[in-house]
Amino acid sequence: MARVWQLLLFVLIMAVLIGLPPLLGAGLQNAMTNMLIAALFAMAFNLLMGQGGMLSFGHAAFYGVGAFAVMHLMTAIDRGGLSFPTPLLPLAGAAAGLLVGLVTGWFATLRSGVYFALVTLALAEMLHSLAPHWEGLFGGEAGISSMRMPWGGFIFGQVIEIYYLTLIWVTLSIGLLYAYTRTPFGRLTLALRDNEERVRFMGYDAHATKMIVFAVSATFAGIAGGLLAVSNEQANYELFGTHVSAQVVLHTFVGGSTVFFGPAIGAAIFTLFAYLVSDVSRSWLLYQGVIFVLVMLYAPLGIGGVVMLHLRHWASIPWQRMVGPYAGATAATLLMAIGTVMVVEFLEALFSPHYVAQRRQAETSWPAFERFGASWEPFGILTWGPPLLLLIVGLLILLRLRHRIVALWDEVQETAETAARSGA
Amino acid sequence: MRAMTTLAVAAAVLSLGAAEVKAESLKIGIIESLSGAQTSTGRLFASAAQYVIDQINADDGFNGSPIEVVEYDNAGGTTGAADRFRQAVAEGVHIVVQGASSAIAGQITEDVRRHNIRNPGDEVLFMNMGAEALELTGEKCHFYHFRFTTTAPMRVNALVSAMSEEGDLGSRVYSINQNYSWGRDMEEAIRAAAEAGGYEVVDSDLHEVNRIQDFSPFVAKIRASEVDTVMTGNWSNDLLLLMKAAGDAGLDVRFGTTFLDQVGNIANAGETAVGHYIAHLVNLELEDEAWVQDYEQVTGHVPVYIEPQTVNAMLLLREALSDLDFGGEDIDVTQIGLALEKATLEGPNGTLSIRQEDHQIVTPVVVSRIDEGAKYAVDETQWGFVPVKVVSAEEAMYPVQDSCQMDRPD
Amino acid sequence: MLEFIIISTLNGVTYGLLLFMVSAGLTLIFGMMGVLNFAHASFYMLGAYIAYSITRTIDFWIGLLVAPLLVGLLGMLVERYLLRRVHRYGHAHELLLTFGLAFIFEELIKLFYGDFPVNYSMPAYLRFPAFSLFGADYPFYRLFIGLVAIGMFVLLYILLSRTRVGLVVRAAERLPSMAEALGHNVPLVFMGVFGVGAALAGLGGAVAGAFFPTNPNMALELGVIVFVVVVVGGLGSIEGSLVASLMIGVFSSFAVGLNWSLARLLDLVGLGDWARELGGLMTLTLSSISGTVPFLLMLIVLLVRPAGLFGERN
Repeated sequence: MARVWQLLLFVLIMAVLIGLPPLLGAGLQNAMTNMLIAALFAMAFNLLMGQGGMLSFGHAAFYGVGAFAVMHLMTAIDRGGLSFPTPLLPLAGAAAGLLVGLVTGWFATLRSGVYFALVTLALAEMLHSLAPHWEGLFGGEAGISSMRMPWGGFIFGQVIEIYYLTLIWVTLSIGLLYAYTRTPFGRLTLALRDNEERVRFMGYDAHATKMIVFAVSATFAGIAGGLLAVSNEQANYELFGTHVSAQVVLHTFVGGSTVFFGPAIGAAIFTLFAYLVSDVSRSWLLYQGVIFVLVMLYAPLGIGGVVMLHLRHWASIPWQRMVGPYAGATAATLLMAIGTVMVVEFLEALFSPHYVAQRRQAETSWPAFERFGASWEPFGILTWGPPLLLLIVGLLILLRLRHRIVALWDEVQETAETAARSGA
Repeated sequence: MRAMTTLAVAAAVLSLGAAEVKAESLKIGIIESLSGAQTSTGRLFASAAQYVIDQINADDGFNGSPIEVVEYDNAGGTTGAADRFRQAVAEGVHIVVQGASSAIAGQITEDVRRHNIRNPGDEVLFMNMGAEALELTGEKCHFYHFRFTTTAPMRVNALVSAMSEEGDLGSRVYSINQNYSWGRDMEEAIRAAAEAGGYEVVDSDLHEVNRIQDFSPFVAKIRASEVDTVMTGNWSNDLLLLMKAAGDAGLDVRFGTTFLDQVGNIANAGETAVGHYIAHLVNLELEDEAWVQDYEQVTGHVPVYIEPQTVNAMLLLREALSDLDFGGEDIDVTQIGLALEKATLEGPNGTLSIRQEDHQIVTPVVVSRIDEGAKYAVDETQWGFVPVKVVSAEEAMYPVQDSCQMDRPD
Repeated sequence: MLEFIIISTLNGVTYGLLLFMVSAGLTLIFGMMGVLNFAHASFYMLGAYIAYSITRTIDFWIGLLVAPLLVGLLGMLVERYLLRRVHRYGHAHELLLTFGLAFIFEELIKLFYGDFPVNYSMPAYLRFPAFSLFGADYPFYRLFIGLVAIGMFVLLYILLSRTRVGLVVRAAERLPSMAEALGHNVPLVFMGVFGVGAALAGLGGAVAGAFFPTNPNMALELGVIVFVVVVVGGLGSIEGSLVASLMIGVFSSFAVGLNWSLARLLDLVGLGDWARELGGLMTLTLSSISGTVPFLLMLIVLLVRPAGLFGERN
């Protein structure tokens, strides 16, 4: 039964991914291309994190290397010396990712835990600080820029063409990543995460195994970087930056690193969020940080983890009693979100240089400020009252409902345990 | 494969459909760093451009409707800029405005070039407000890129001319710059001007961009080389830290700078900045008081840093637009480009115009000294920029670079 | 030459001591609690901004005193209400949480203080040269930063190795249940350690922010280099942090004057011209890659001796 549902869901998602973009403008098509690339990057990252238990803080290294490899190939084609099918450009990214992944992986996997994270961080930072000085390879601070050539009747000039090219590559890559988890070697990876001692005891070379996992992850990160280069026709040293490595960590953990598709979900949501919110609010990075911290605190398994929990216990969840509290909690979260956004935006307006200048000019010491298409008094009850009220009401509702939801889930857990016990 | 062909065809048809319902109002997209490290500068470009556009719209707008302005946040990086450029094009933007970074300008100008090759008849024009790397009007030059700011040779030549007239240049000069296109341009310009200025470049440094916390090692090196003047194109932290380190060590040299007028610099450097020189495009003291006051009225502050040059650029655009009439029909960006080539603007220091061969603005350069008694004190201190010399456009300009081969539309 | 060496060493030492001020708290937190705190440099930034606000409204010295206390308090709140919640999910999770917090702190600073650097500087009467060397003034404030750092080191060293406090903290980390059984309140100890670590960073920010620019990027700029210090010195070793800070400080100071490159090295065996033809890595000078070297150092230490120079093997 579950299989059928999974298949249906897969078909539905693919149908949307294939059918929707032509109906959208080029801006959204471009945003969807970015979502796909971010999703693949996060999935590649999570092969290392979720499957192998290795937290990398420098995955930008492979992403960037993949992008630069593709740019060099693209330049060679553009200059006319080489004939190479444009749609296969990301292969260069894969090759570069694999190569660099094997070399650095050998070093990095000598260490584990926090030390492993620090090694990867140092690797990426080295590249980041070296790249702007290494003119020949990384094109200096401006980077490398080139142009996609038409191939096989396709011009590759429209965003939609790049979107479908990306979709094919991402689907294929994620398919391969999925297949990987099904192979005996993929299972060995999982075993490595759970108990390295045992893997060693079974006669496997733990270091070699980790190195291979690392290289595979780097390969797919390289493809993701390569796709970005194909889409942007440009790469520069910023691709090695800490914030790129940071973004993929954010995406993966908000999506859920324990679920196969979790990272893709996180990446898609955050990329879309950035696209929609960054032009509207200047504080969007703040919102992004707050969402991340809240997920870390209250849903440590991420969005994917929460969804999986529900799917696993679908039958034993007392839905009649659960729907009410869930709806209430959603509404309360929404209230708090609105309250928070209002407070942040008001503060943003009050502390903006624009308002400071207004104050200097105005007759009264605290003139009203504009926000959300209305005028607000800086010390008015009507300004601060509603958002604070929303926050308090939302919080009270959440606190109340929390106990009920926890109690209901305890029941579910109990039923599951009894079932497991009687089954055994 | 066939499915993909069908889809591609469908997409092509749809995009054709989209092109036909193009709005006739002129759309300007400001792709700036509105978040990230360079935010402060990015915002200034946006607000200055908006100031002139509001004026145009208060009159009649253009082509029968008000000019639309859309702000895009490139998040301070080239990747973000590439992304936002595509979005801007999708939303029908005709003119892209940017200025806060040479790297980003390099990305946008290439994006514009590629777009225009692929979409003849649907071109986009790039108004570069502040990116000074020479390659933008050199190897990377093309018809749809216009630069409305100076370049390293212009600033250095002006500095050398004014400082030697004041007797503050001396015969030994130290060049310290950031290690990227702009910094290297500066170093080259400083060496090139040595003969004309009658000085010797004793030593030079190219250092990492915005990564150095402590400049005192450089100051030690400068002291050891016993120079009279330090010339630098550094901006932001790299300039502040350098000058503070020099001041704290009691180093007795003159600084010739290019970006000392960035907001907050004077307040932060304090007394250390006094007596040093800057070459910039506009000194407010020489400007017409009326517009400075009007600007303050509208935006809440007098124009600072790159705001005046951005205003001038937009005024040139206004001039160009006034010569055009599309009668409410589709806007032809190529025509705007051609009109911009001919536009001129009378300023207090001379005429501003565009050099046809490489689309570099022809502008006088003002050299000022940081001192008390300036008409507009900055950063709430008692200091401001006292004008020393206006270097005319003829004197400041440099020859067109050989590497610029521009394909003209006509 | 002698002049360059002496002045560069002096400058390197003060920069190193500044690095030590910021990394001491991180070393403490990591060594005692095993938490790799990504938000540590943010505490440094908060210290500078809070001190700036107090200086502007009240007085510089009060700012120097109050800013670390407030930052320490914030650190305690973070530990009590955020970190403790995710403790059971493991160290990786704690690291991720602090990583998110770093994000939030930076954005909050931008929200309240804007994106420009703020004008936080020492009072005028502190702005005088302490002594003169080869005609170069050595600013008193640099000396002051160094003295604060050394004071910090001495205090921490005595606290950890000579008093019972250090003993209890270490027991709480190694054998929490045993320490608890002996009547020590382990959660309180952890909260205290985190608070002190944050306060140290806050003090660093308050002192150094008046000399170096105070802007929203200052956490980012120091963030990674502080990790280098902690790793190279040995995770958890205060002495190691001091030595590593000084090493990196002095190296950065000297690298500026050295235009060594691989090609010049190969000149010694007559391969210099061949190397220059190759270009790329061969011709990069040491001064232009001085930012890369600390990371290389960190990498080598992690691979060869992960416990760092002074850390105990674990």
